[in-house]
Amino acid sequence: MEKQKILIVDDSEMNRDLLVDILEDQYHIIEVDNGQKALEILEKQRDEISLVLLDIMMPELDGFGVLNQIQHNQWNDSFAVMMISADDSPENIKKAYNLGAFDYISRPFDATIVQRRVSNTMCLYARQKHLEELVVEQFIENEQNNKLMIAILSHIVEFRNGESGAHVLHVNRLTELLLNQLILHTDRYGIAPSDVPMISIASSLHDIGKIAIAEEILNKPGRLTDEEFAIMKTHTTIGADMLSSLPAEQHDFALFGAASEICRWHHERYDGRGYPDGLVGDAIPISAQVVSLADVYDALTSERCYKKAFSHETAIRMILDGKCGAFNPILLQCLEEIAPIVKKEFSNTVVNKDSIQRSSKKIDYDRIFSGQINSYDSQQQKIKNLLYVDSLTEVFNRRYFDEKIQNAENIQAVAMIDVDNFKTVNDTYGHAVGDIVLHSIAQALLSTVRKSDAVIRYGGDEFAIVFYRFPAEAFEARLERMRILISEIKVPDYPDIHLSISVGGVYGSQPNKDVFKIADQMMYKSKQVKNKVSVCFLDCNKTCQDEPVESDRKI
Amino acid sequence: MMTLKDGYAKFGGDYESVLSRLRKEKTVQKFVFKFLNDQSFETFEAMMKEENYDEALRAVHTLKGICQNLSFDRLFESSNAVTQALKAGDTEKARALMPKLAEDYQLLIKVVLECKQTMEE
Repeated sequence: MEKQKILIVDDSEMNRDLLVDILEDQYHIIEVDNGQKALEILEKQRDEISLVLLDIMMPELDGFGVLNQIQHNQWNDSFAVMMISADDSPENIKKAYNLGAFDYISRPFDATIVQRRVSNTMCLYARQKHLEELVVEQFIENEQNNKLMIAILSHIVEFRNGESGAHVLHVNRLTELLLNQLILHTDRYGIAPSDVPMISIASSLHDIGKIAIAEEILNKPGRLTDEEFAIMKTHTTIGADMLSSLPAEQHDFALFGAASEICRWHHERYDGRGYPDGLVGDAIPISAQVVSLADVYDALTSERCYKKAFSHETAIRMILDGKCGAFNPILLQCLEEIAPIVKKEFSNTVVNKDSIQRSSKKIDYDRIFSGQINSYDSQQQKIKNLLYVDSLTEVFNRRYFDEKIQNAENIQAVAMIDVDNFKTVNDTYGHAVGDIVLHSIAQALLSTVRKSDAVIRYGGDEFAIVFYRFPAEAFEARLERMRILISEIKVPDYPDIHLSISVGGVYGSQPNKDVFKIADQMMYKSKQVKNKVSVCFLDCNKTCQDEPVESDRKI
Repeated sequence: MMTLKDGYAKFGGDYESVLSRLRKEKTVQKFVFKFLNDQSFETFEAMMKEENYDEALRAVHTLKGICQNLSFDRLFESSNAVTQALKAGDTEKARALMPKLAEDYQLLIKVVLECKQTMEE
């Protein structure tokens, strides 16, 4: 390890030499003979210096002057200062401490004591710095985790609601912008700048009560009946009640208070015409006032099941004109003032949500919760979440097969598909290439089926395809198309890889288990030749058929 | 032949103390001989002559610090007395104390030189 550096500042050469003699074995020493020179060294290389030993009485600039400058420049977060002086009168020592000195060494120097004091001070200082960094790191991590948890929670609500995940983020940001602007205008609401992030986070929870509202009401495209609207309104009180039923020890947190206010009162209006309590004016907590305004703006500028999106300008005009109810005039002024920023920040996300979400490294909650991965759009209506999707190939997984297909009705035809010589690909080119191959094959298969059909990764390199209501005459041709398509796949960067599949198809309604069993047999039949399709048509009148009518075609 | 220990006894110092603090006889010797080149006393006298009391104080203060570190007890006493007087702004008193300081200083230098000579022989 490189030696730590100590700067010795003393005008007496004898004294410096003594200290050097004591410390030079363990440390790298820099010497200067006055305070001015000390500052010059610190200016340039303070990052390398761990400790400054500083005399008080010196020409040019004395020790106190040096301490003053160090404090003024806020340099002492990287090194500690120890005073050394022949004159350790209590006043001088106190003065040095007050100016930020960490400790002092008195004369006469005792080699052992000086060494110990110096090394202890450096350890202590280093540890303190390390701890400070740790605390900051943990704080940031906690903060991020908090944000993530709240985003997930609030997104659960939005997902049911069919709203985009951007809503929570928008309300967060608008709340932050509005509050910061509000602080510039008035201190009457007693909001400190440090409260702003907390209220902004709390705003994420404004709609949690919607979790208890029936989906038919939540997502009703048309106008709600009076009765339905009455139910809808309860999301405010339900949200607040959900929070208040949390253990009492959590009620003391500022975040809890703000979240409760926001949940209950984010639909109140300044003139008392809001709900649930019809509070008037500043009887509505400022946090709820701000969030209600943010919520309204984002609702207006977003598309919802019951309306189209309004432009930024229209939304602002509608709010200022009182079309969405009355708001605190100061907040309306704040909204007008931040409007240009809002327009600039939010316009990006509206234009092309997909590309933004992918290019920015933000967590894409929409995708997490809806399971929409673009390449299998054709299957998306059946997929509720990632449970049923194979992450490697992006087609349905075995779980889907076991839970949804095996007992499904109306299956008209099935095909079992095995990739020929897949093991050779893996062994020759490695699993990474094997993965690419499987993905390409799965996607190619997917491209040959209809939206209503299902492609399933059945096992390692085995796929199953389920067809619902499929014309018999087209079945074999469809499987042939698959076989040809796969044989034409080119793997980028690996021109030597030639792929093929062995396909076993069964057409006809039968108890499903048997259908798959027969398809499996047909597939093994193809497998003996490879790159081949074997199809059998079951006689629908018979319950079981030992000798399926085969229509093999050798390729 | 005069050892450093004898010298310390002669000019009024605490050899045991300095040895225990600096740990090695060689180190003590190195710094005691180095003191022969130290200019603090000369600077102090020159500044007193020029009536530059700030600089005089700094010089005698430094001298005092060195004496403390090397356990030159007697010279420490006299340099400390002058330092206190100058700090208090009592230049008359400082001047009155100067002969004693000079005497102690000259004795110490003389003894150290003697030690050095006998050791080099």
